[in-house]
Amino acid sequence: MSDENKNNKLMFSVPLIIFFLLCIFLFKGLFSNPRELQTGRLGQEMPAFNLPDLMQENKTWSEKDLLGKVYLINVWGTWCTTCLVELPYLTKLRERGVEIIGLYLEQGYDPDFDSEFNIQALRNEVSHMLDRTGNPYQYNIFDLNRSLAFDLGVSGAPETFLVDSTGVILLHHTGDLNERTWRAKFAPKFTELKEVKL
Amino acid sequence: MKYFLFVLLMGVSTVILAVEESHSFANMQQAQLFKELSLELRCPKCQNQNIADSNAVVAKDLRDKVIELVKLNKSKDFIVDYMIDRYGYFVHYKPPVTASTLVLWVVPVLFVLFGFGSVIFRQKKSSTEQKWSVKDEAQLTKLITQYQNNSVQVKQESGQ
Repeated sequence: MSDENKNNKLMFSVPLIIFFLLCIFLFKGLFSNPRELQTGRLGQEMPAFNLPDLMQENKTWSEKDLLGKVYLINVWGTWCTTCLVELPYLTKLRERGVEIIGLYLEQGYDPDFDSEFNIQALRNEVSHMLDRTGNPYQYNIFDLNRSLAFDLGVSGAPETFLVDSTGVILLHHTGDLNERTWRAKFAPKFTELKEVKL
Repeated sequence: MKYFLFVLLMGVSTVILAVEESHSFANMQQAQLFKELSLELRCPKCQNQNIADSNAVVAKDLRDKVIELVKLNKSKDFIVDYMIDRYGYFVHYKPPVTASTLVLWVVPVLFVLFGFGSVIFRQKKSSTEQKWSVKDEAQLTKLITQYQNNSVQVKQESGQ
């Protein structure tokens, strides 16, 4: 009798346990963000590139120019509304001593359709936008063909990478950077690297 | 019948995927490889669409890159790894077996094993319990004679 009782209890508790495990799994799913993508480049060095500056004629940047300092790479564009919201916060970060390099992601240009690109119109647009929000960038890398963006695993804007002084990519964040995400994700790593309190 | 068929057909969903672009590849193998890859690679921007199905800028960039690499005669594994290097495992619809994805393979198997196991276990248990013993046989004969006696008695009583 007690044996049967035991068996009954087991048969009853197994579905119950499965049910609770399922609950935990689904509950976790409620708070996971499917848009939170991580580049396959984490822990690796910055991909090699050679791209022009957005604002200055005849100036080009490569991955070697970025060595020796801790910095953020912020992917943005004037077409991106979330970037408009994010820019004032990034400007604040710059004032707090964070070096931010812009990677300007041009979305409209397609070499299959457009023959030439009006860089002057874009520069005007950029200056206009940064006048309104403040300019958080040391400088902007202009990625017309989205080649560096592709190598970094960028799927849209805004996205932000944290790169250390040896050129290794440590963090990747999709979506806007704000006080909350900065405190939770970037600040600990950044403080550790810079050994300063922000 | 017509209406029945109509209703039945309403329950059937059809998926049609159209790829607008046509590309000139050197041979059929390359064209086939591009087709395969564009169905198997996942757009990082529009969740749950492959790059053939999506018109997002990044999906087009991925398609263009696949075309470029296919034309360079790169193998399928090379191209998939190339994309995973940049966009992570998310970009491929066939996730590899790793520690974190192992559960996807193990759980269904365990589930089936547990199900069959419990069915077999229960059957065995009930078959051993219902063994027909000498004692049962004796009880049965006793009950039958008792019933027969009773019915004879009832008949006799009603006959009077």
